[in-house]
Amino acid sequence: MLTKLSNSKFLIPAMVALIILAAGTGFYISLKQSQNQLVQNNELRGLFWPNPKQIKDFSAKDHNGNAFELSNISGKWSFIFFGYTNCPDICPITMSVMANVYQHLANYYENIQIIFVTVDPERDTTEKLSSYISFFDQDFVGLSGEPTIENSLTRQIGIPYYYNMKKENNNYLVDHSASIFVIDPKTRLIAKLSPPHQPEKIIEQFKNIKRFIDEKD
Amino acid sequence: MKKINGLIFIFIIFLNASIVLAEDISGIDISHLWISEAPPTVSVLVAYVTLKNNTTKTASLVSVSSPLFSSIEIHRSIVKDEVASMERHLSLTIPAKSTIKLLPGDYHLMLFNPKTPLEIGDKPTLTFTFSNGVKILVKAQVKKRKYRKH
Repeated sequence: MLTKLSNSKFLIPAMVALIILAAGTGFYISLKQSQNQLVQNNELRGLFWPNPKQIKDFSAKDHNGNAFELSNISGKWSFIFFGYTNCPDICPITMSVMANVYQHLANYYENIQIIFVTVDPERDTTEKLSSYISFFDQDFVGLSGEPTIENSLTRQIGIPYYYNMKKENNNYLVDHSASIFVIDPKTRLIAKLSPPHQPEKIIEQFKNIKRFIDEKD
Repeated sequence: MKKINGLIFIFIIFLNASIVLAEDISGIDISHLWISEAPPTVSVLVAYVTLKNNTTKTASLVSVSSPLFSSIEIHRSIVKDEVASMERHLSLTIPAKSTIKLLPGDYHLMLFNPKTPLEIGDKPTLTFTFSNGVKILVKAQVKKRKYRKH
C-alpha cells in the first residue's frame, strides 16, 4: 500500500517562507507541482504517483553552448539539481554525491544523465559552468540561462529560489531548492529526492523507483 | 642605510616573535584547516577548521583574512524545508574549554575571489583574529572533498 499526501510536504512550508521573502527580486515558484501526489512510504519515498507531471518542450543552452531540449531528456533517466557555482558548501557536496551515484549507476544502466541547472545565470556564464561541470564529471550536463526562460525546467518543476542582497554587492547569495529531481525516460517528473543526500540512499531509492515504473509501464 | 636595514630586520624578528608568542599564550588551538579543491573558475572557495579553546574564558573569532582573497566570511549552511541557504555570522564564539568544528554542510569559511586558483598541495596562510586582539596564522591544506557529509 502506498501512503499518499494530497500536497507535497515540501511545498507548503517552502511557499510560506518564500512568500514572506518575495519582496526581493528573482523569486519564482510554480503551484503546479502541488497537484502531484508524493509517495511517503520507505521503499518508494519521493515518488510522484499517480499522475506524475509530464514535462513539456523547453529550450535551454548546455555548458558547451549547445541547444538542450526535451529530446535530450527523452529516453533517459535524468537527475536534476538546481544550484549556483558561488555556492561553495551545499552545491559541491551534492555534486560530489551525484558524481558518486553516477559512477555507480553508469555501470548498470546506459541511460543515466546528471544535470546541474544554475539558478544564477547572470554570474554563471557558459564558460564558468563548463569548468564547474567537468570538475565533477565529464559526462554531467550544465544548463545556464535557464530560470528566466518560459517553460524552463526550473519553472516546470517549480523550483524555489531567492536572491539575497543582490543589489548591495556582487557576492550575493541565492537560496535554492536542495532536492534532487528525477525525470523518467517518458519525460515525466517522477521523483523528488530529499536532502540530506547520500550516494547509497539515492542509489537504493532510484532502483526501487525504476523497478516500480518498469512494472507499471 | 645599513642601520635602517638592521632596524627593519630587528622589527621583523620582533613581529614574528610576537605572532609566535600570541599563538603560544592565546590558549587557542587551530587545526584541521583545509580548503576544498574546486573548479578553477569559481569565485568562492570554502574552508573548514577546528577551533579549540583551552582557556577558562570565552573566545570570539571576529575575522579571518588572507591576501589571497578579497574577503573571508563566516557562514553557516542551512537546509530548511528542503531549501538551502547560508547565513553570515560576524563572529564565532568558542566557549571556555570547548571545541568548535567547522564542517561541510554546516559552519564554514567563505573565501571570496581567490587571486589565483588553488591546487591540491597548496598551503595558503590564513590569519585568524580574535576579539581580544590575538592573531593566529595557520597554514591551510588544499584537499579533495570526500562525498560524505562528515
